[in-house]
Amino acid sequence: MINIMKADLYRIIRTKGFIIFWLVSLFVSLTSIANHEPGGIMLGGDIDLNADRKLDIIQTGMNLVYYFLLIMPVFSTITAEFTEHTIKNTITSAVSKGRFYFAKTLFALVYSLGCFLCANYLFYFINRAVNGSKYSSPLGEYSKVLFGQLPVFVAIVSLFIFLAFFFKKGAAFNSIVILSPLMYSFIMSMLFEFDSAKKLAEKMMKFEISSMIGKLAIGCSHSYRINCYIVSAVITAVSCALGYLIWKKREV
Amino acid sequence: MREIVLQTKKLTKSYGRSTALDHADMTVYKGDIYGLIGRNGAGKTTMMKLVTGLTDPTNGEYSLFGKTGMAADREKRRIGCLIESPAFFGNMTAYQNLRYYCYQKGIADRRQIDEVLELVNLSDARNKKFKTFSLGMKQRLGIAFAVLDNPDIVILDEPINGLDPIGISELRETFRRLSQERGMTLIISSHILSELYAVANRFMFIESGKVLKEVSKSELDLECSRCITIGTDDTAKASNILERKLGITDYKVIDSREIRIYDEKVKPNIVNKTLVQNDVDVMKIHESGVSLEDYFKQLVGEVKS
Repeated sequence: MINIMKADLYRIIRTKGFIIFWLVSLFVSLTSIANHEPGGIMLGGDIDLNADRKLDIIQTGMNLVYYFLLIMPVFSTITAEFTEHTIKNTITSAVSKGRFYFAKTLFALVYSLGCFLCANYLFYFINRAVNGSKYSSPLGEYSKVLFGQLPVFVAIVSLFIFLAFFFKKGAAFNSIVILSPLMYSFIMSMLFEFDSAKKLAEKMMKFEISSMIGKLAIGCSHSYRINCYIVSAVITAVSCALGYLIWKKREV
Repeated sequence: MREIVLQTKKLTKSYGRSTALDHADMTVYKGDIYGLIGRNGAGKTTMMKLVTGLTDPTNGEYSLFGKTGMAADREKRRIGCLIESPAFFGNMTAYQNLRYYCYQKGIADRRQIDEVLELVNLSDARNKKFKTFSLGMKQRLGIAFAVLDNPDIVILDEPINGLDPIGISELRETFRRLSQERGMTLIISSHILSELYAVANRFMFIESGKVLKEVSKSELDLECSRCITIGTDDTAKASNILERKLGITDYKVIDSREIRIYDEKVKPNIVNKTLVQNDVDVMKIHESGVSLEDYFKQLVGEVKS
């Protein structure tokens, strides 16, 4: 299994996705640092960007950009094996189908979350060096906020992995993962139009992806934080279990 | 006794109502160059997919190096294969692709990459991206991948596809070298009978998922060579007369009702006359001898009828 992961690391740093991930990540970070303004993507989530927090913390509230950037590591690790049909080389010579699933899942999770943390810490240290303590928090406080978001990103990457094994085709995987949060927001805004569905829409709003990422960074109640972690844990567990069961029954 | 490296027993694979492989028995001995012959969709690739673990059998079992079940799964590391078309990462070079698989297989000695690239005449293209390769080059890289870690068994699915005549003859030589110099057992599938005949020493004919026949090259030669076929219900007496009265020694008793004479100088009318004169009932006597293609057509015809 370690061999599979070593091989993936060797290959993934040669992909376009690797370069795009770091270029976009650096561009967003450097623009934000230069303008003293948080940069990234919002999907109409309920977040107060003018909260009395320093730039680095508010920037973590905009981490939805990593939802889209983390598609690339999962795509390069798993979907590429299906689209290039190289999966049969691995399964016929290196590992069984079951081990393939575990090795790919573990690597995609570790690698994606590693990228997420590295990119954020890179932002933190550059921001601290360029803008000083006026715009940056102590490392401990920043780490607490960042690791507080980690369960949500574990759930996101787990869901991506499940979808990669489920769809196998690159186009289907990309379309679904890119459109899902947009569709969620669209359905939510539609429901707000109906009085009878307002309560459901408000609940949906609470657990909308950019709301969760933003609130967990900038500030939220303890119960909300626990609820976010429960939702994330359920998504992670269901994605992993369902992904494995479907994968075991599938023909390569 | 020769060591059996791969054996399947009543191996069956069904997809819904259709059966891709039906109770297939196959025996491959160490050092064999084993040819799987069948038309497109006959079940050759399914057989290969089953023994390499790409798909699970619906019924039946197989043994690898005498081991079955989970133990056989562990022995799969001793197999190198190229199933269907060769697949590699297009944005990586031939060397990088093979290095990727070196990492996967835990091969520390990187010199093996250049060795296998040289074996398949791809040394000059080692730094070319896979997406720029011709079909023949892709096939050759697929073979390089299959033999990368010096496996005991190499399984190649239609490796001749897309190769030009020179490429095919070079590949034939490569197969011989792999078998003779490295002691590898090769299982090669193809629908081009003449090409398989040129390299293999044992054959399996397969059609509509069913194994028609498993024969050695010498048996196949006998089956296809020109001969006089005699149908009689007393083969013992007939063979005695052939030897004593006509001095024929180059013949074979096929079963209790059939004898074949391979001596080209023998005339059927004389054989017939001699047998009848010696009170042997001759039910049929005719000259036969078929090409490989005709032999295969006959086999397929027998199954269909």
